[in-house]
Amino acid sequence: MLMPEPDQGVIDRRDEICRTLRQLVPADCVIDSRESMRAYDADGLSAYRQLPLAVVLPETVEQIAAVMKWCHQQGIKIVPRGAGTSLSGGALPLADAVLLGLGKFNRILEIDYDNRCVVAQPGVTNLAITKAVEADGFYYAPDPSSQIACSVGGNVAENSGGVHCLKYGLTTNNLLGIELVTIEGEILRLGGKHLDAGDYDLMGVMTGSEGLLGVVSEVTLRILQKPATARALLVGFEDTGDAGTAVGDIIAAGIIPAGMEMMDGLAIQAAEDFANAGYPREAAALLIIELDGPEVEVDALIGRVEAIVRKAGASSVRVSQSEEERNLFWAGRKSAFPAVGRISPDYLCMDGTIPRRRLPDMMRRMASLSQQYGLRVANVFHAGDGNLHPLILFDANQPGELERAEEFGADILRSCVEMGGVLTGEHGVGVEKRDLMTIQFTEDDLKQQQRLKCAFDPGHLLNPGKMFPQLHRCAELGRLHVHKGKLPHPDLPRF
Amino acid sequence: MFTRESCRIPTCRGSRAVVVRAGDMTEYQIDNLGQAAEAIRQVTADGQRLELCGAGTKRHLGRIASYDHLLDAGGMSGIIDYQPEELVLTLRAGTPMNVVEDALAGARQMLAFEPPSMTRILGEAQAGVRGTIGGLIATNISGPRRLTAGAARDYLLGFEAVSGRGEHFKSGGKVMKNVTGYDLSKLMCGSFGTLGVMDEITIKTLPAPETSCSLLVGADDFAGAVALIARVFASPHEPGASAILPAAIAAEEGVDSGSPFTAVIRLEGIEASVRDRLGHLQEMTGGDALAEAASVSLWQRIRDVQPLAEKPLDIWKVSCAPADAAKLLGSLDPRLNIRMIADWAGGLLWIASSKAQLGPALRKAVQGLDSGFTMLVRDVGVTREKIEPLQPLSGGMYELHKRVKASFDPLGVLNYERMHQGI
Repeated sequence: MLMPEPDQGVIDRRDEICRTLRQLVPADCVIDSRESMRAYDADGLSAYRQLPLAVVLPETVEQIAAVMKWCHQQGIKIVPRGAGTSLSGGALPLADAVLLGLGKFNRILEIDYDNRCVVAQPGVTNLAITKAVEADGFYYAPDPSSQIACSVGGNVAENSGGVHCLKYGLTTNNLLGIELVTIEGEILRLGGKHLDAGDYDLMGVMTGSEGLLGVVSEVTLRILQKPATARALLVGFEDTGDAGTAVGDIIAAGIIPAGMEMMDGLAIQAAEDFANAGYPREAAALLIIELDGPEVEVDALIGRVEAIVRKAGASSVRVSQSEEERNLFWAGRKSAFPAVGRISPDYLCMDGTIPRRRLPDMMRRMASLSQQYGLRVANVFHAGDGNLHPLILFDANQPGELERAEEFGADILRSCVEMGGVLTGEHGVGVEKRDLMTIQFTEDDLKQQQRLKCAFDPGHLLNPGKMFPQLHRCAELGRLHVHKGKLPHPDLPRF
Repeated sequence: MFTRESCRIPTCRGSRAVVVRAGDMTEYQIDNLGQAAEAIRQVTADGQRLELCGAGTKRHLGRIASYDHLLDAGGMSGIIDYQPEELVLTLRAGTPMNVVEDALAGARQMLAFEPPSMTRILGEAQAGVRGTIGGLIATNISGPRRLTAGAARDYLLGFEAVSGRGEHFKSGGKVMKNVTGYDLSKLMCGSFGTLGVMDEITIKTLPAPETSCSLLVGADDFAGAVALIARVFASPHEPGASAILPAAIAAEEGVDSGSPFTAVIRLEGIEASVRDRLGHLQEMTGGDALAEAASVSLWQRIRDVQPLAEKPLDIWKVSCAPADAAKLLGSLDPRLNIRMIADWAGGLLWIASSKAQLGPALRKAVQGLDSGFTMLVRDVGVTREKIEPLQPLSGGMYELHKRVKASFDPLGVLNYERMHQGI
């Protein structure tokens, strides 16, 4: 992975930079020893590692602003980092950039039941929001699988999803407000406890911007009343296509399950060996369908869903009769990644999305790619929304296998785009899929995105080397050819 | 300026852009984004500006601004692909809302954000025309279900557009889950056509509820009604929408609870569930049930702000934290003699008055809150000339908005100053 050429001038100033940073934040909030910085040299995409120039862990928003303002003045790059759980290398350090860690922003500031929201600092974990309000019957809906560790600030940066986003949406649909520190060190508030202002939706565009537009220093999150009950069905199919049909039929019948997950044969086997959840080993595909809501509604819909999956050709159907049984159904799915980790020394987790009706085509394509590359692939899907997580099994100790696995993964993502889908459903572009962006976007598409980047960060100081395969200077992007050279209303200032 | 009538949905068109000239003004009736780009290039070369318009139903939202020429995008019309079992609808931006709603109804689906018809308060540009999907997205207007299901901005999955630079670009996709690149869809929603001319757009749809009904509960004051709704939302009985009507309006609508305020709480879903939840909530609140037909018609009137539409009054939209609404209303001088309905559990106030002082009073009241937003939606006199219709932006936010605008439309060709001065 080619990262932007580090600025040797900045690296040579390291001691001086750390001295100044220690004046901007308490001295113990700057980490510059190689040993201590090791803890920050990678995120969840651990194949890539890099020591940062220095690590700064501010304690107040004023300190964040001071650090950013000074770095901006000095032309020093900044890589923001939450809990470091990104699977796409979004928080991968750069040798000539200050790593700005938000780990000390770990307080919930306000629980507001009257307005059904929580105001929290960005370093609070996703699960901690739910834990703070669950005794009163509320919860925070987005539940990425890393929720015990990932931070809500990171959730905003990546627009994180989870298994329940089919019904409850992604981070962007559950976020009411943010406090933003710009690269110039200005503190702005976007949104709040009210809904829908008449401004540009800058909060919406900040969400999922992967730390390239600004640093989130506070979030206001919508909380929901916990559903009265939840029940799940565990459904086996002999044919993956039938499972796909069942998923479409359920939605066409007007039912939006809280979660609808699919696993393929290899994933079923691995998960069952690991978790003993009672999965049908002989099935080619398994669906876990969860319905939540008022008890009468869930009971009625379970009946409807059962009829639909049987009609679609299910080979086995189990309906959870207790909370323990429902949790058991999920136990296999939730341990799918470690379970696959047990049957292979290494695996790559991909994250494309396709229109759901293309699932059978995609399964065939993956089977043929698997043969072509000589590598196995296990599949878990968020079936309701077409988000695929193929796990490519390989052994990093075998020369060339990592590269082969990466090529296999890139081919899967190319197929996703060819079939009308996208490169990433929830893990983000980061460095991992950066060079594939040209598959999905034209040069003009990417230029327009980068122009927006220039509006927030004209010097490309925030998290450079992520998301865009090629960095264009903002002056070059801003150039406009005007025929005959007349500008509208030339008396008005232009910028 | 063109009159409203000039921005119409053409009934007949060839494959080429129709260019209608009236004096110095040109009306570009376009069929595709290539023609939009060409029109933008022509206008830019002449150092002039374009007004972008679909059916013209929301043309009187926002600031009074004058434009050199008109770009009529209503011809980019039609459904391209609708896959109900994928919950995905791809269509052209100029598609009339009635066409969209008919297609969705055929598959028993809906736009979950419950788009209002603004024609009740803004008037019709053409008889029976409720606006286009593009106009709806450009103004990000959502109805009662916004509280629980999200706004228009939560349902735009992707789009293709031409920027003010005359360049074609796309963002997002045609699938429900996508984090590839910046989410420019959010930016296009509510940008009033100041960033680009959209054509192909993809929207997430949802199944329509099988049935619905409402619960009517009296409250002694506005704060009491908000608190009651908060209690209902803290229950597991899944209310989907909730409004508050003052006694006079409740009486006009035939839902008077006999108290100074009536909270209206809507339940949707399958019949067994709605009946069950209604029972629980009646027990909890002592309220009365409103059966499906009456409930549907009442919510449609609330959605379209119809109770405020008939009298010749200015209408303001105020968005605030629900728990702040009572304080905000309490701070208004009784001499303003307001007529008001509240939606979104108290978080959306539609306030009407004949007095021009209402706007400054609302702006001042919202300044005293942690967060909130005010917008003049309709003026019957000259209010719009005296006050910014959209709440002005503060220093840093204004600068950032200007830079964002410039990143799409550096010369201010598209709907310049429709939202904010200099933008």
